[in-house]
Amino acid sequence: MTKSNPILEVNNLLASTEDLPILKGVSITVYPGEIHAIMGRNGCGKSTLSKIIAGHPSYNITEGEINFLGKNINSLEPEERAQSGIFLGFQYPIEIPGVSNLEFLRVSTNARRKFLKKEELDTFDFEDLVKEKLEIVKMDSAFLSRSVNQGFSGGEKKRNEILQMALLEPKIAILDETDSGLDIDALRIVASGIKQIANNKTGIILITHYQRLLDEIKPDYVHVMSDGQIIKTGGSNLALELEKKGYEWTDNFIKEK
Amino acid sequence: MEIIERIKTNKLFSNPTEIQKLCLKKLQSNPLPNLKSELWRLSNKSKFSNFLDFSLNGSSTNFEFPYHNNSQNIIRLIIGENSPINRSSEDYCINELNNEELIAYIKQNLSSFDQNENWSELLNLCLTFEQNILGLRIKGTKIPPLEILSHATNDSINAKTLILIVEKNCNLDLLQITLGTENSALSQSTYLCLEENSFVNHGMVAYGENKSNLLNSLNVIQQRNSEYNLGSLHFKFNYARFEIRIKQSSGNARTNIKGMQITKNDEQIATYTKIEFNGPNGSLDQINKSLADDKSHAIFEGSIIVPKIAQKTDASQLSRNLLLSNHAQIDTKPQLEIIADDVKCKHGATISQLNEEELFYMRSRGLTLAEASKLQLGSFFKEIISFIPVPKGRWDLLNKLLKQD
Repeated sequence: MTKSNPILEVNNLLASTEDLPILKGVSITVYPGEIHAIMGRNGCGKSTLSKIIAGHPSYNITEGEINFLGKNINSLEPEERAQSGIFLGFQYPIEIPGVSNLEFLRVSTNARRKFLKKEELDTFDFEDLVKEKLEIVKMDSAFLSRSVNQGFSGGEKKRNEILQMALLEPKIAILDETDSGLDIDALRIVASGIKQIANNKTGIILITHYQRLLDEIKPDYVHVMSDGQIIKTGGSNLALELEKKGYEWTDNFIKEK
Repeated sequence: MEIIERIKTNKLFSNPTEIQKLCLKKLQSNPLPNLKSELWRLSNKSKFSNFLDFSLNGSSTNFEFPYHNNSQNIIRLIIGENSPINRSSEDYCINELNNEELIAYIKQNLSSFDQNENWSELLNLCLTFEQNILGLRIKGTKIPPLEILSHATNDSINAKTLILIVEKNCNLDLLQITLGTENSALSQSTYLCLEENSFVNHGMVAYGENKSNLLNSLNVIQQRNSEYNLGSLHFKFNYARFEIRIKQSSGNARTNIKGMQITKNDEQIATYTKIEFNGPNGSLDQINKSLADDKSHAIFEGSIIVPKIAQKTDASQLSRNLLLSNHAQIDTKPQLEIIADDVKCKHGATISQLNEEELFYMRSRGLTLAEASKLQLGSFFKEIISFIPVPKGRWDLLNKLLKQD
């Protein structure tokens, strides 16, 4: 079977913040329908990679390129990337006091719809849409009237991220430790939400420390990152092996390299 | 400084009123404030002297409220316009103070005025023509909201004075709108007396046009069991000072203040507040916000005075500031002066820029930098705007602020 064109291609990416190199040559390619998992110790560069793909202004790409749907997006603004279909689920979703969650969701949904040349939604139509999507993450509509993420529990914040993903219908979603801080039930809800949104045209990158999310969402590929590089790539079994043997086991791969 | 010269040489008026005579006497030997004192040291000297260079004008041009009144229930007054003021119904009564009452009230205040600290009030009373003093006594219940407009006049300095005596057990919503016009200076003083058990929601919205200048002072006396809520907003002034002096005359009263000033270009807007507790069990909750852009300068100085008699005072003063440009300047100094030993007082100040992580979060959801900044600013404004008793829907201040260039 011939593969279609990749959604995302990261080629030999080197990046730094304030002259401190963080990524030291990362390559990863995601095709439609694929689920990738990236694992690795704290501080190995997983979150940085996700932020750089989303266009965080604090990081500089010093070498390499990020191609999204065949186009180099190195110099695109974060909003341009988001509008064109890149979604980053935050490890620590930001609280924005005073900004209504409903209004925030509506403005961002419309930004994406405008890009897709779909009609923008007024308040009433949007409420219908958001209520339908709330079902996916089993959230109460009371969350909509609160400020963005303010006073939300850890689990509620993560569900709000998945709600945003459901509304924005991205081409690729990078979910940074979406499973951290979740109890078993919340993890199931979030995982089931991701599975409902994912389809054979979208790509997903899960950044995680734990096997438990991968029990719910089986990845096609597992990458292990260490010191700003991907040091090993394998199938879903690699995560199981990692769970058993710990990251010390993967240190051997660096030595071999 | 034309005005100062005329005060010095007693050539301000050919026929001054009794009040003007009294104030001129206080200013004549020393007509300027001490520009090195805490109250004045940060004031832009050239803008201040420009303020005093305008020629005096007591006449009023026709002026309208910045939004329509669709409600029969609101009483609207314009200071300086000779419109009938006395109103009454079964429930309430609004009467204009007669000349003797006005003089008595002003004299009572004057006796405690200090040349430096109350310089703005003294200047105001020197410059105010009789027709530009509005004094009202309000009593009763179910009082309709009161909207009072005062405005500047182009190319001149104008003075307006408002005196409101809110009698026992009254409950009043008061919106004061102060409009600067192009190339103008306005001196405005407001005196509010809240008698026992009264409740006042006061909004003070002041904005100007190109080269508007404003000296705005507010004196509030709160008697026991009164509650005073002030929401204020000052923007678009080349030079503005808002001086608030509130005295809880025997403690046991509640004061809540939420104020904001927005500066752009090379504007300077300053807020000075002095809250005095002259008895026990008083409370204060104050937040002042500044937002400074371009090369502008925003100043906040707040002081809370808690003498020995004011035991069990509960006061909080917070200054929150946003710097939007590398060339803008913010000075803030919340301070406490506590003699009483059984009190709860806190104060704090923060100066920050728009939160980068919040901006990135919003941008990562497709909002442009401008949209994200607007949402963030909106949330910064909202706390203050929602505290101003403004007829929402008829006058959308938040949109006005976000749209101004």
